[in-house]
Amino acid sequence: MADKAFWAETMVQGGTAVINLHGEINSLADAALTTAYNQAETAVPQKIILNFATVDYINSTGIALIVGLLARARAAHRPIAAAGLSDHYREIFTITRLSDFMEIQ
Amino acid sequence: MNDKPPDTHTPDNAASWAKPVDTLTVGDTPAEAINLNVQGKRVSGPLQGFGQLWQKTYRFRLRGVQTTSAELVRLWKEKLPELMPPNSRFYPSITGVKPGEVIIINATMPGVPGAISTGVMILYADDEAFTVMTPEGHPESGFNTFSAYEADGVLVAQIQSLARANDPIYEFGFRFMGGSKEQEKIWHHVLAQLGAQLGVSGAVEMEKVCVDPRLQWSRAKNVWHNALIRSTLHMPVRLARRVVIGKTGSSGTQGVDSP
Repeated sequence: MADKAFWAETMVQGGTAVINLHGEINSLADAALTTAYNQAETAVPQKIILNFATVDYINSTGIALIVGLLARARAAHRPIAAAGLSDHYREIFTITRLSDFMEIQ
Repeated sequence: MNDKPPDTHTPDNAASWAKPVDTLTVGDTPAEAINLNVQGKRVSGPLQGFGQLWQKTYRFRLRGVQTTSAELVRLWKEKLPELMPPNSRFYPSITGVKPGEVIIINATMPGVPGAISTGVMILYADDEAFTVMTPEGHPESGFNTFSAYEADGVLVAQIQSLARANDPIYEFGFRFMGGSKEQEKIWHHVLAQLGAQLGVSGAVEMEKVCVDPRLQWSRAKNVWHNALIRSTLHMPVRLARRVVIGKTGSSGTQGVDSP
């Protein structure tokens, strides 16, 4: 199966930065995810929302990348939320205990 | 022809993930394994621990090996217990490396009498990678991902850990008692042994990145679950049991979990 390349776009509305994630979140997503997050931080938002509505696939390396973003957000005392998760990925966020640290919308 | 519309909400790799559980359940384990500090524990990820959060990546380039990443990961899963060093024994369940299964770990640490008994849960397993997640009380709190990929025509075996010390005692041990170096030696050993299985020797590359330098003091209470302390306190019980079994000749020396 060919990988669906990951890409992300950042939009800032008011005090909230929304990062729309697309494609597959695996080890190949690292650079694009970091760039999108850096763009979001540049706006010094009060809150960051990761929108997973058009994410097709996340593997365990992808979850580790999201943990890295969460750690950065926590270090900056910046709330971070996840939106658009399918039921399956809600389960994954529960078992990995990411949901302890981020609001699931 | 199947008229049922595809389920767009369930990804292709859904079966590769463990199912959510409140607490861990240990299945059958070998008689020689000491099974403590896993049954009934919750999993504990990189955000639940106490110490600095580190990402450590170990890579071994398997030059000249003509096999696929999937075949390498299959071999890795099958030989995992044999690849571990003598001071860190892994005891997978009979089912093997499958999502949701628990691997019991019995390890020794320098300057500590007896063995620390803990384990990991298989969080994710597919053809090209598998990830384990630690329980409460394990020295580290986080994930370890074992994977294989091809780079510049060379097969690479990789271990990536994203973890922090689970409590202040472990953090002290990792920083000041050589625990961090001991941990790194384990993964160097595993990759070297994996290479040896395929007739390859060479150097293991390692990268370390401190993802979060802060200590999470709100997690200092994790010390309650500390598997090192609990295993040490349980040692007299195990010794007494061994004496009794020696006298009666009973079988079944497998350790049992304390409440």
